[in-house]
Amino acid sequence: MMAITAVPALQAALAAEHAAIYGYGVAGAHLTGSSLTGAGQDWTGHQEARDTLAAMISGLGAAPVTAQAFYRLPFRVHDAATAMALAAYLEDGVTRAYLGLVAVSDQRLRHFGALAVQSAAQRAAFWRGSTQAFPGLAL
Amino acid sequence: MLLASAAALPLLLATAGCRSWDVYTGADPLAGPPPLGHDVLTLQAVIAAEEHLIDLYRTAIDGDPRTSARPRLLRPLLAQHEQHLARLRARLVEPPGTRTSPSAAHPTAGAGGSGSPGPAPARISTARLRAAERASAAGLVQRLATVEPALAQLFASIAASDATHATALGG
Repeated sequence: MMAITAVPALQAALAAEHAAIYGYGVAGAHLTGSSLTGAGQDWTGHQEARDTLAAMISGLGAAPVTAQAFYRLPFRVHDAATAMALAAYLEDGVTRAYLGLVAVSDQRLRHFGALAVQSAAQRAAFWRGSTQAFPGLAL
Repeated sequence: MLLASAAALPLLLATAGCRSWDVYTGADPLAGPPPLGHDVLTLQAVIAAEEHLIDLYRTAIDGDPRTSARPRLLRPLLAQHEQHLARLRARLVEPPGTRTSPSAAHPTAGAGGSGSPGPAPARISTARLRAAERASAAGLVQRLATVEPALAQLFASIAASDATHATALGG
């Protein structure tokens, strides 16, 4: 497998963060109590990650991808259970995107991507209620 | 005839514009197997660490009283470590004739799994397992900087799994 270049991998991670920010907004509307608090914290974390990635991409001389006006959700979200399933789904997407960064040749970006994979996998496990053997990898 | 042919080779090469020492400058093919590559050595070390973690989990489960609820938490995590090990071993390709990796002769049946009577398994605390998971995740992230991209992604994914295990263990 050839190492991929940094900008496309960063853009993919940024696109996943945009989608997560949108999705947590939908999920949060169906959550209450500690789940809502947790979703709020994750939503804030994704906004911070978005800003970090956008700055990194700009620093490399590229224009950061912008958020879409609307995202097609993978299933209908109508209660707390489907909201938590959506949060896990979003985090799986973020995990996959950051795993792409681990394949770049820049060692600092690999390290950054690997830590972001861990954070996203932790959030996915929280929302799913179980761990996975290979977060982000297609089996 | 053979002797004559061998003697004529430098002359032929000279005629073709080549010097005999230009023909092949690589490793001596008769010097034995080549040294193992960096990725192979890294993979061997990661496999050995994964085997150690599996042994730790097996010892912990074997050491728990039958009434304990902890094995119900530990068994799914152990199963995921066994998946890690299988995937890592599938990536390991060693040239024939190279030295045996530490893992090849390593008994994967953990302490207490051999069937032979022995001392009671040691009690492994949840805190120790949690620390081992964290150390494994950190070690994998350190190693992924210098290996080929697909292997780096596998290490990162396993590290993330280990990090979720640490959280599941209360960390």
